[in-house]
Amino acid sequence: MSFSITRRTSSLLVSAALLAGCVAASATASQSKHTGGQLVGAGSTFVQPLVSQWQAAYPSVNGTNIVYQPIGSGGGIQAITNRTVDFGASDAPLTSDQATNCKGCIEIPWALGGTSVMVNLQTNAHAPLHITGPVLARIYLGQITSWDDPAIKALNPGISLPSEKITPVYRSDGSGTSYNITDYLSSVSPAFKSKIGLSTQPPFPVGVGGKGSSGVAGVVKNTAGAIGYADIAYAVTNHIQVMAVRNAAGKYTTPGIKSITAASAAFKNVGTTGEVHIVNPPKSAPTAYPISTYTYVILPQTTQNASALRTFVFWALTKGQPLGVKLRYVPIPKPVLVLAEKLLKTVHS
Amino acid sequence: MDDPIATPLPDSLASRRGLRDRFGDTSLRSISGLAAVGVIALITLIIYEVLDQARPSIRIFGISFIWHQTWNAVTNQYGALDFLVATLYVTGLAVLLAAPVAIAIGLYLSELAPGGVRGVVGSLVEMLAAIPSVVLGLWGILVLGPVVHNEFGPWLNDVLGWTPFFATRPISGSTMFTAVLVLTIMIVPITAAISRDLFLQVPPDIKEGAIGLGLTRWEMVRGVMLPYTRGGLISAVLLGAGRALGEAIAVTQVIGTTAHLTANLFETGDTLASRIAAQYQAAASNLQVASLFYLGVILLAISLIVNFAALLIVRRYDIAQRV
Amino acid sequence: MEASGVASISLKSTGRSRRRQRTNHVAQGASIFAAFLAIGVLALVVISVLLRGLKALNLDLFTKNQVTYGETGGGIANGLVGTAIMVAIATAIALPIGILAAVYVAEFGGNRVARVVKLALDVLNGVPSIVVGIFAYALLVVGSGYAAWKASVALAIVMLPLVARSTIEVLRLVPDALRYGSYALGISKWRTVLFVVMPSAIGSVMTGATLAVARAAGETAPLLFTTSIFLPNQIETDPHHAMAAVPLLILFDSESPDASLNNQAWAAAFVLMIFVLVLSLTARYILARRERKLRAR
Repeated sequence: MSFSITRRTSSLLVSAALLAGCVAASATASQSKHTGGQLVGAGSTFVQPLVSQWQAAYPSVNGTNIVYQPIGSGGGIQAITNRTVDFGASDAPLTSDQATNCKGCIEIPWALGGTSVMVNLQTNAHAPLHITGPVLARIYLGQITSWDDPAIKALNPGISLPSEKITPVYRSDGSGTSYNITDYLSSVSPAFKSKIGLSTQPPFPVGVGGKGSSGVAGVVKNTAGAIGYADIAYAVTNHIQVMAVRNAAGKYTTPGIKSITAASAAFKNVGTTGEVHIVNPPKSAPTAYPISTYTYVILPQTTQNASALRTFVFWALTKGQPLGVKLRYVPIPKPVLVLAEKLLKTVHS
Repeated sequence: MDDPIATPLPDSLASRRGLRDRFGDTSLRSISGLAAVGVIALITLIIYEVLDQARPSIRIFGISFIWHQTWNAVTNQYGALDFLVATLYVTGLAVLLAAPVAIAIGLYLSELAPGGVRGVVGSLVEMLAAIPSVVLGLWGILVLGPVVHNEFGPWLNDVLGWTPFFATRPISGSTMFTAVLVLTIMIVPITAAISRDLFLQVPPDIKEGAIGLGLTRWEMVRGVMLPYTRGGLISAVLLGAGRALGEAIAVTQVIGTTAHLTANLFETGDTLASRIAAQYQAAASNLQVASLFYLGVILLAISLIVNFAALLIVRRYDIAQRV
Repeated sequence: MEASGVASISLKSTGRSRRRQRTNHVAQGASIFAAFLAIGVLALVVISVLLRGLKALNLDLFTKNQVTYGETGGGIANGLVGTAIMVAIATAIALPIGILAAVYVAEFGGNRVARVVKLALDVLNGVPSIVVGIFAYALLVVGSGYAAWKASVALAIVMLPLVARSTIEVLRLVPDALRYGSYALGISKWRTVLFVVMPSAIGSVMTGATLAVARAAGETAPLLFTTSIFLPNQIETDPHHAMAAVPLLILFDSESPDASLNNQAWAAAFVLMIFVLVLSLTARYILARRERKLRAR
């Protein structure tokens, strides 16, 4: 009797297992694209703190959930090219190759921020330490390796810099922040331009890689003597010191609402494609922070989610902008906004 | 009473049952056969797909990809040498560190430990073998890293700075040395558990015979147990090595993800698996994606060779396959 | 020790014997020392993870989701749900296929075919999980997006060889006498397999499967490219959407500059480790007992 029960149970088990297999197989067969009340995006970690604010606010506006994963700008471009997401986000504009691969994508500037130079260093300074683009370039080229190097001392008179090794930290993934800082360093240092150049994955000869802005900030925060770069929001929320960077006018500035606004205001001509560079603004803007950048949302021009995407991006460009101010994102200026809205209208289903 | 077997079944019943059995046999055979074929198809598909995705890179860089050093997204030049060397270097050192220790644990647990300790420590080792690698990585990045940066690093550099292995002080906690330690901790329990099982399989007669001949315990271990289990031990170590080779997550957390061709363990490095984990999602061009798949092809080839070597030996020794 | 007894039956121990004894003691001492050192270090790792995790543990961890950037607090509820669902689907895929393939190898396949399938399983087992990850991405994710079921497929690929290989081992241990007895009674092969062989093996098969589940729950690499884009602040239960997963949360939080997220990673690691350890310890314990029983039969 008991034997027959075991038999039956086991045969039941086996058929249940079979059934489960079939169900799973049919589930895999009937794959459907994410629909209904959800927009999926991925990319830039630079803009992630801001998107995170939007994610919290947007559902109550319109009932649509925004899914966003900070996998790096390179990842954002890759993801929208493979159409694994509804929108990509990148601080680096698409290269011509990437634009071709992406098959009818447009990039729309949707946020404006500054890349901070973060340090972990104990000194007697009460104000941010000073640095210039060329010196920063030499640090990332491995030519300046100690904090008491004469080149750094000369910029910080009266401050006792320790003879500590410099640990340059950079992004190990494809990053728009890397693009932004190499854009700046290439424009101020010919040596940097020829040795490394402008890239989302610059081949730095020295240093430690961190994954995402958060990873870079993490390494800087936990490593004495480290220097790294990430959107200013990461420095603000994690209480990491930033450096003041010398601009073309010879003034030292830190990234903040005023200095980033000044940088963007220095560039009057915004063009027509959406790609706007604002690094190293001219002397005429003495308060400008030199490593500022627009960051872009990348949309496929033809998509079944066109109207939901248009509504969301329009909201982000307008109502969404003030949400970033406490994190030091500057509301994008009028001419760029006009351009962005014009570009957004070309997205259709 | 009639003997039930001797009594022939009525024709109709017999044939109906025969039909049902034939049907049952055939269906079970074909369903399970389908699953078996599915396994073969799956592994074929994986190998094909990885090769296929790597094709653009294989076409452009050819076999010389393996010994080219550049990995530059600006110029779109890719080569695997740095990652290949670092993978072999870091894994090799981890295995060198782990193997003797793991075998010692195996010996201790099978020969030397008192009965009670055997069970407790034995289960502890089994438990350790099941720790997810991401947890080891977490420990590596937040606990081990700072220790390597601030304590081990300066100390080893002071004492052994004259060797190429510790030529500089680490500039952060993310170094190849940290990765070696994390991988060692990962493979010791795996290898130790298999070694213990191997030693327990040595027939008691042989051991008793050796002791009876007047050998000391150590001579018995060296002269009888180690030779008897040699093949199994080698494959246990190889299986551990296979695990370490392909470990992406824990390594990417602690190695600093910058490739260098150096023996200096306090430099950052990057292995094949860790480079794929760090850059795959964020690749800048199609060629880079293909090149990452090419790294995957190389990694797959090495892992398969190591696992095959282990299997060939394991077949002869028939040890429990745990890894 | 017997050895010394033999060597020094009537004489004082000679120089040679003393040397051998000394070597013996030194070697044993070294082995014990190495074993203790290694076990000590390993125990230290586990204890340090568990202690840190325990300190960071609180109820919010299980009831709340992650928070918006810059805020503190929150938990990993969505990750726990996601991991549970994804591992369950993976098990539902890997278990039947793995068991059936094993049945074929052990019961039906001729020697040749069985060898090929076993070889395929061994090769599959040797595929690094990161390669499984990029394979799943290229095959399933490109063009259609991230989804939990795709992560489950990737996890199932990791589990499949574990399930199948342990099942083959168990079926091999079922004594042939049982099969012959069944055939002698005129019972057909399929009935013999399903109702005689499987019932005596099913317990051990399930334990083997449990070990595979423990392994899958902690796997990170197959998830990285299949389900890493998820809704952070909401529990997702639809397998067509991407879900959060505990190992991924640990990975992301481990590199964060935010100490509260580091703490959350420790707490999540604690939960994951306890789950995996309890599962694998119980499974191994039961497995060992059953194998002993089967062998004894």
